[in-house]
Amino acid sequence: MFKKVLIANRGEIAMRIIRACKELGIRSVVAHSEPDVDSLPVRFADQAVCIGPREAAKSYLNIPAIISAAEVTDCDAIHPGYGFLSENAGFADICESCKITFIGPSVNNIQLMGNKVKARETAVQAGVPVVPGSDGAITDDTDAVNTAREIGFPVMLKAAAGGGGKGMRVVHDEDELLDSLNLVRAEAMAAFGSGVVYLEKFIAEPRHIEVQVMGDKHGNVVHMFERDCSIQRRHQKIIEEAPSAGLGEDIRREMGEMAIKLVKHIGYYTAGTIEFLLDGDKNFYFMEMNTRLQVEHPVTEMVIGLDIVKEQIKTAAGRELGISQEDIKLDGHSIECRVNAEDPENFLPSSGKVEEIYFPGGPGVRVDTALFAGYVVTPFYDSLIAKVIVKSRTRQEAIARMRRALGEFHITGIKTTIPILYRILHSEQFVAGNLTTRFLEEFME
Amino acid sequence: MKLEEIKKLIKLVEKSKISKLEIEENDRKISITKSEVGTAIAPPMPFAVPPPPVAPAALAAEDAKPATAPAEGTAKKYHEIKSPMVGTFYQAPAEDAEPFVKIGDNVEKGQTLCIIEAMKLMNEIESDVRGEVIEILPENGAPIEYGEVLVKIDPA
Repeated sequence: MFKKVLIANRGEIAMRIIRACKELGIRSVVAHSEPDVDSLPVRFADQAVCIGPREAAKSYLNIPAIISAAEVTDCDAIHPGYGFLSENAGFADICESCKITFIGPSVNNIQLMGNKVKARETAVQAGVPVVPGSDGAITDDTDAVNTAREIGFPVMLKAAAGGGGKGMRVVHDEDELLDSLNLVRAEAMAAFGSGVVYLEKFIAEPRHIEVQVMGDKHGNVVHMFERDCSIQRRHQKIIEEAPSAGLGEDIRREMGEMAIKLVKHIGYYTAGTIEFLLDGDKNFYFMEMNTRLQVEHPVTEMVIGLDIVKEQIKTAAGRELGISQEDIKLDGHSIECRVNAEDPENFLPSSGKVEEIYFPGGPGVRVDTALFAGYVVTPFYDSLIAKVIVKSRTRQEAIARMRRALGEFHITGIKTTIPILYRILHSEQFVAGNLTTRFLEEFME
Repeated sequence: MKLEEIKKLIKLVEKSKISKLEIEENDRKISITKSEVGTAIAPPMPFAVPPPPVAPAALAAEDAKPATAPAEGTAKKYHEIKSPMVGTFYQAPAEDAEPFVKIGDNVEKGQTLCIIEAMKLMNEIESDVRGEVIEILPENGAPIEYGEVLVKIDPA
């Protein structure tokens, strides 16, 4: 097992990793930027190293500074959290060369799944259904038109190097196609450094269902069932649930089996998530794979009773999984609400000093956060400031519990999205379940 | 009881797990109490008012000055050379070589003061002012974080 782990991240996920390390008897070191010097992770970790000024490029994305911090503190592993360098194959490679274990999958798998075209091809090879689409990247305009005709409009143009909802555009007919193609190519080039584009059938009102997987370095793999992440705003998730309401046992089992197929096919280890789209006819298709820990991992933890971060660290350290698929059972229902430091009227970032704060509590309530009274929320980083997670026996009870929890959450000094989350939890549509990714858009109108 | 004996007793208490020792001899009484230092079982207190950003040693002193004043309590503010990177501090170009600078040396702008080694690369840290070296803070071979003060210079 690792003796010391460097956490190359901040905020609530840094706290999460520190907690897993503490329980595993591993010493933690937090690499932080100057403005984060008074943050909770810095206070809770065993050691802290300032790695740069506030700009992420010079701190949390500064590979030499992070590696150097791990070296001067004698860390044998680095946990990248989510975002930042967590899916940076180059960083994982450098860790390896410096004999520091990157807590995540192999460099090859990060690269493979990071390229959306290659990921699609891999899924096809593994026998996993994919959204009907182009056979690889679009080569030229004629190719684009032909492929689109074959698949049938509407289609979605996507950047191969994109992901997380960025670098995508819907095209409704042939007239729009070529102009959109040029636009997406240009946007993709600017945002991701690659103008490579592919095409997929556009599924109008999909449900976004993802499956959590965990593998070890000995070829063992399990899935930990699914999460429903259909409540999104501009492709950013705000509410997630486990399991997915009304999915049906057959589909649940099939999705799990498909996830395992893919993961075994590429020899994947540590934590990962396979994202599927479910269309109106209950067909599911592979969309993409996230080769890292996800923000919403807690809802899975609540319904299967395992600590995903500890398992991720253990498997990265070479330990065998020690759990078989039969051991993993769903129990109850969990909901997570992401609380962002944003104005609930317009979602603009809200910064300032947290004056008073009272976190929700009581049975079945968990709060993952790095907030405290006196903490100054800055606009330099992501606006996620807390995750409120509830668990209960049924979805109805979990909804009642989340309503109670959001009602208890008291915070002054900054604006948050709690009022919106509260309203969504009270909406008839949410309660009825079976939500698609269009829900929030319609709800906000 | 002589002073030497009392000193020995104090040392004994210090080294032992005894927290309080009382001795009565004739009409003299001596009581030695060990103050409780932070323990492994105390929970961390992260919500205490954040300490001002001074070196830990300064915090322990009862008359510690607020963050902006230098720890020595002197009015003079020296020019601080801060580390632009994370790494290991070396005062000399090689193990057995003479240090780049010593306290009291006069340095020129651009003169190398020390090395910060990061990922096997030696980075020379230069002074950006002319003046006298007042203090060299890190120990040779110490780990250094970004922004850490390396050398204090009294500008000419």
